Amino acid sequence: MHLLRTLRQLNGLQGVRQAIRQVSSAPTKPATLQYERDPQPLFTDAETQRLLQSMTQLNLDKVYRHRTVADNSSETKFMTNEQLDNEFQDMVVRAKHMLQMPPIVEIKKDVERVIAKDPALKDFDTTKYVFTDITFGRRQSERKVFVRETDGTLAHATLDTTKRMNQLYFPLEGRQSYTPRMFALEELLSKCLAEHKYEFILDRLLVQYEPHEPEFHNISARVFEHLNESKQFELLRSTRHFGPMAFFYAWHRCIDDLLYDMIRRDYLHNAVELIALSYKVHKIPVEYQATLTELEKLHQTPAERALAELRSVFRRPDEKQSIEQEIHSAIGKTEPDFAADEISLKFIEQYIASEHSLKKVQLELAVQTLKEVNREKLLLFQGLKKAHGVQAS
Amino acid sequence: MNRASIVQVFFPALRSKIINCGLNSIFSKQSVIPNYLGLRNTSFFNKLPAEDIWRGVTAVSNAGKKRGRGKGSGKKVAKDLNKGQTIGYGKNNRIWPGLNSPIMRGNELIYQQKLDENLDRETGILKLRDTMGNFRLIKLNPIDRGWSGSKMPGRSIGQPDTVGEEEFTSFDTRVLENKIVFIMKGNMGRKRRYSVLSVTGNGKGLAGFATAKAPEARTALRKSKNRAGQKLINVSLCENRTIYHDFSTDFGKTKIYCFQKPHGYGLVCHRAIQTICKVIGIKDLYAKIEGSTNLQHIVKAFFIGLMTQRSYQNIANETNFNIVQKQNTRNRLTEVKGIPFLNSTQAQSNQEVDYMHFTLGNKIVLKKNGVLPFYVNSKGHDLRRIKSERFRNQPKVRLHKLINSYA
Repeated sequence: MHLLRTLRQLNGLQGVRQAIRQVSSAPTKPATLQYERDPQPLFTDAETQRLLQSMTQLNLDKVYRHRTVADNSSETKFMTNEQLDNEFQDMVVRAKHMLQMPPIVEIKKDVERVIAKDPALKDFDTTKYVFTDITFGRRQSERKVFVRETDGTLAHATLDTTKRMNQLYFPLEGRQSYTPRMFALEELLSKCLAEHKYEFILDRLLVQYEPHEPEFHNISARVFEHLNESKQFELLRSTRHFGPMAFFYAWHRCIDDLLYDMIRRDYLHNAVELIALSYKVHKIPVEYQATLTELEKLHQTPAERALAELRSVFRRPDEKQSIEQEIHSAIGKTEPDFAADEISLKFIEQYIASEHSLKKVQLELAVQTLKEVNREKLLLFQGLKKAHGVQAS
Repeated sequence: MNRASIVQVFFPALRSKIINCGLNSIFSKQSVIPNYLGLRNTSFFNKLPAEDIWRGVTAVSNAGKKRGRGKGSGKKVAKDLNKGQTIGYGKNNRIWPGLNSPIMRGNELIYQQKLDENLDRETGILKLRDTMGNFRLIKLNPIDRGWSGSKMPGRSIGQPDTVGEEEFTSFDTRVLENKIVFIMKGNMGRKRRYSVLSVTGNGKGLAGFATAKAPEARTALRKSKNRAGQKLINVSLCENRTIYHDFSTDFGKTKIYCFQKPHGYGLVCHRAIQTICKVIGIKDLYAKIEGSTNLQHIVKAFFIGLMTQRSYQNIANETNFNIVQKQNTRNRLTEVKGIPFLNSTQAQSNQEVDYMHFTLGNKIVLKKNGVLPFYVNSKGHDLRRIKSERFRNQPKVRLHKLINSYA
């Protein structure tokens, strides 16, 4: 503490203080895009959630990536095959839990709710009194906070005061009672954005603000806008923020960049899902259900795929892989994949041709390139099959 | 020097004799006390050579020698008083042509001439004499220091010498033990030699150790270094930084328990094991020694332990269990490290086997509870804790305030 005190004395120059005040007087810029009506019913809809989860994908290496923790020790164990399989299942369940998306809800407006006006109590004190219900085990949202103003009015506290009282009596780990500097200063936030620390900003945002707060909407919108310009969508894939991001683009009719990225990375079924989502959001009369169900039959869900990948360790090393599997591992695609690609491409081309797409030339080019690559792969696939004498099923 | 001093001693002695004779004759005739003081220009300072005089100060008696006196830090050493003095330059600052100056300068002849007194000369000589004779520590660069001061153990002695075309580049040798040992010889009696134990390694898992003896410390060091280079052992490292699994090992009465540790843990073990680990390339390890801490035994036990390590695959094959690792940094993700070769074909025993018990050979390390300070259960301490409880968050708050008030 002594060191800190000395530091403060050293740095506590008036000039420096003033300079700081000047910097901190610049608040963060407002985002250009905002939800004009309540997005919550559409977002929490089961189908939307399924689409968003599928788009997020589930890369276990990304979900369980190295993080800085206080205790970085590891534990080694013996396990039977059953135990290991249980462990794998548990891992996928935990990963799904970690990918749970933060809700997108409307901004909550402060409503003044006066309980009683007692003019007799006027000037009972120089400050107002705040009464908080600190019953154990109550949820933050149902905790009651009242304020007795100095003029004698008793009213429900504002949202801001309620949050502050909650944080005071039941502190949330990581949440600060004042605005963190990275959200208060424009230069710090824009620096974070310029360095593409999107996940960091969004994680911090989730801890600091409730989803119904205007700051949450504003900053997350700014991150998504910046992301749409820098096109680093891969950074958010397999994180809990990918779903809200895709929803944001679908809502504000700017899915084309994300779509282009998905086509380029050969995530065609995700592209179809994104287009379907945008149709759903804007109630565009295009039939997408049939395509989706067809694709669902051909594709595994991300969780199933991750589990299958984990279980591949049980395959015995000496056991000869079937030739089909070998061909699969060489090319990276199987017959159902090619079938699914065909269906998806048809749907995507239909979208590009429609008036809803904005970057037609770019998307068409990407689709053409992908088609060529796919055709080559298909030829190779068929050739290999013929060479190995595998019957087409 | 001896001859010069003898001449010096001779003349004063003669003179005093003559004076003494004169005195005697005077006393015999008149009993008058002369008004001059007796001059005694002789003493052992000018009678004896410097060597003998110095011996009087520095020597230790025979009996003392037997008791080991006159050794170590308090030892007196003779000073060379001629140091810093040159012929021609003295207390009397003069030009002596032909001695401290040329005889002719140009066409001019130089004469003897007195100069101003040089006071610095005297003090300079005294200073020089003061520095002599005192024991001075050898100054070592802090980087080159070993376990303790300028002692050899722990210090690096470079890479082993090249043998034929075998070069030991990137090797580093460190001394572990440097001691004097004695043996009895039939004709020479008690013979002393230096025994040096050193370990060499390339920091990538190749290392060797050897003991060598020689009558000279330097030769012993060289011999043991080169011999260590000839006895290299390959130690496979896990992730290039630690051991594959916890293990216990022993040699004689020395038992060592070694534990695999996560990245950034460092080497928490006996200094000899630390030095060996640095040379091998092990960066994270905890080791506890039980029993004797004989250095040679520690080194041998540790190397035996390293050599008996098994890979995950081997352990899996042996036990017919899958080996998995859960890392806290990866949110306890289950990583499969080894799968038994005969997977699932044999019935796996239902009995729970603990991995650490297996790798430690069913030994359990005694974990002692730390001893609490004496004041823990006292009334005053309780009071203090009660009083300070409400300030427990203060440092954190202050820090956050500080962070928020500065850019």
